Amino acid sequence: MFIIDDILLRSIGISLPGLDMIWTLEQIQKFALKGYYNPEKIRDQIKETRLLYEFGELDRQEYERMNSQLLHKLDVAQKVLEMDLGSRMDILG
Amino acid sequence: MVRRIRKAEKDVTETLGMYVYCVIPSPIKERKSFGNIGFDASEVYTMDYRDLSPVVSDVTYRDYAAIEQEVEIHRNVVEQVMQEFSVIPVAYGMAFKSKKLLQIAMSAGYQAMQKALPIVDGKVELGIKVFLPKDLEPMGSAQKEECSADFLQNLLAVSSDCKKLKLFSERLILNSTFLVDKSTMDEFSSQVGKLQEKYYEMKVQYSGPWPAYNFVDIHILGGKRRGFR
Repeated sequence: MFIIDDILLRSIGISLPGLDMIWTLEQIQKFALKGYYNPEKIRDQIKETRLLYEFGELDRQEYERMNSQLLHKLDVAQKVLEMDLGSRMDILG
Repeated sequence: MVRRIRKAEKDVTETLGMYVYCVIPSPIKERKSFGNIGFDASEVYTMDYRDLSPVVSDVTYRDYAAIEQEVEIHRNVVEQVMQEFSVIPVAYGMAFKSKKLLQIAMSAGYQAMQKALPIVDGKVELGIKVFLPKDLEPMGSAQKEECSADFLQNLLAVSSDCKKLKLFSERLILNSTFLVDKSTMDEFSSQVGKLQEKYYEMKVQYSGPWPAYNFVDIHILGGKRRGFR
């Protein structure tokens, strides 16, 4: 199966508005994913939550709920990083 | 898929290993027991390696995830050992499949540990975090700098060394750790008390004594985690 890729079209100076729009949306999605699934940022949030609990700004129940959510998010973030969702793959061969 | 299933089956089989909590200098070659305070209530004891003693327990070899209860076991053992000895800290989760592998790791890190000994000898690590309460107006960067510098300057005067750690929250003004001689701990605490009085509006967290985790950084088997591996 032959697919005319947007990069191939750009390399020969052809710009299709539809493809450009998809490319832009993909870039926005990629950027948002990187921001949301940033392990370093999530680790900081875990530490901050712990500190808020230690300073009495969060009760035990609230702390455990938030901590568990953040640990899950960190786990997902690490998997997202490993998979690199930003790169596309032609699965149709 | 088949490989994955086989791997999972293999993981279920429990194998015995050795967990290392910390390393201490050993002027006496006798095996010392710290009681059944290790993982799964295992006995924590010293192993002999030249003039050093890794403090270990015989455990099931598995992945030690950073769960609060488990980290607490590691922390508690180190705390007990620290009451009697100067401690070279070991990162959480250091389990070895056999005594032989642990000896290889000790051999690889021996020189680095020898160098670390004078740094930790008779010293402890004490942590200070200064946090802005939520009901207090946000401070400008100059004000934050001034407060942070005041803490650092006064506490450095009663400590051997200091490490600035990451400010992981916007409300965190200072996150530092100090290497303090055991004999001057009271002086350090009194200085912290004075600063707490001066900055009474701030929340100050004073923690420790810890082993000198932030002042000893020995990498033996590579990997991302800090500490003795």
